[in-house]
Amino acid sequence: MGPLAPYEIISENTNFLLAFFIGIAFGWVLESSGFSSSRKLAGIFYGYDTVVLKVFFTGAITAMLGLLFMSLFGWIDLDLVYVNPTYLTSAIIGGVVMGAGFIMGGFCPGTSFCGAAIGKIDAMVFVGGLFIGVYGFAFTYPWWEKMYMAKYLGEPKVSEKLGMSDGLFGLLLIIVALGMFIVAEWAEKKWPREEY
Amino acid sequence: MMKPLKLLALFVIPLGIIIAAVPPDRVKHFRLTADELLQEAGAGVQFISPDVVADMLVQKDPSLRLIDVRTPEEFDAYHMDGAINIPLSSLLSDEYTDILHQDAYMNVFYSNGSVYANQAWMITRQLGYENNFVLEGGLNYWFGNILSPEAPSLTSPNEEFAKYDFRKSAAAALGGGGVVATDNVAPAVKAVRPPVMSKAKKKPSGGC
Repeated sequence: MGPLAPYEIISENTNFLLAFFIGIAFGWVLESSGFSSSRKLAGIFYGYDTVVLKVFFTGAITAMLGLLFMSLFGWIDLDLVYVNPTYLTSAIIGGVVMGAGFIMGGFCPGTSFCGAAIGKIDAMVFVGGLFIGVYGFAFTYPWWEKMYMAKYLGEPKVSEKLGMSDGLFGLLLIIVALGMFIVAEWAEKKWPREEY
Repeated sequence: MMKPLKLLALFVIPLGIIIAAVPPDRVKHFRLTADELLQEAGAGVQFISPDVVADMLVQKDPSLRLIDVRTPEEFDAYHMDGAINIPLSSLLSDEYTDILHQDAYMNVFYSNGSVYANQAWMITRQLGYENNFVLEGGLNYWFGNILSPEAPSLTSPNEEFAKYDFRKSAAAALGGGGVVATDNVAPAVKAVRPPVMSKAKKKPSGGC
């Protein structure tokens, strides 16, 4: 029966409306878990607070398990679920730019809006920078186009590349995630910071 | 602090083991039954609108792969920009399997009309290949409507005008004939982002 929009069970507009509410809920959860503090977010890079890693990886494995089970029960056709196409060069360069911005600014795009919404000035400055980047890229797009489109890989899945089933890869990912959480909590003890 | 982690592990590890133990793709058929094929063909799922193809060409979308199923002679005489030639008669030859059976590109078959392209789609679909489509209307429609669009009459609904504007700018970007002569306004040199066409699969994607 799913995904809902491609099967036209709900219209594209309803889809956006749902996304709107889910987005508000997402922002609320981010803010109430302290994600609007750039010190907390930057902690992942220094080891004193790894909540970013834990939250996003927990989110990822929860969504993964949910989708795999829904596919198993025949509730959703995973072939119809939109997967971001991979452009290897831009993925790597974009990842580096995003990571550098994350360390320097202390926010990622979503959390900067959270911070700006509760009136944090550093977050507003970050959002301003974000728009400068967006418009700068858009207006100079012809310069980047070649690089942007380079190394197109389609929509590959890691499980396919490794030649294993989605489920087995899911299990491995869960084990890796749990292992990372243990390391993360060890790091929090090793490089503690009293107040931030 | 250890407690929530243990709790999480208690939940996700058993679920992970279950999902890993389940045989994958149990419901996926390699071949379609005749019924299913008839249903798909009847619903016209194979057709892709020329406007979508024009949009992808203008935007240089690398996932688009045009496949000309006409004879090599016809292909040499004219073919669409960036198209490759797989004559219908050699569709099943081994050298083309990698091109037709893949999940990276969106293959679009075209012929003069849509009959040969449709046959190519039917055969590949029956083999269980995905991501193959047919250019609706074929080259004839492409020439007559995309590369040299006709202005809608003044009483046409707004959508018709939007479609016409899109086709005009697409034709200018794709080097179509006809347009410049019928229109005194200088053709847009840069492709304007088309206002009307929505891509079937495009959805906003979220991050952190």
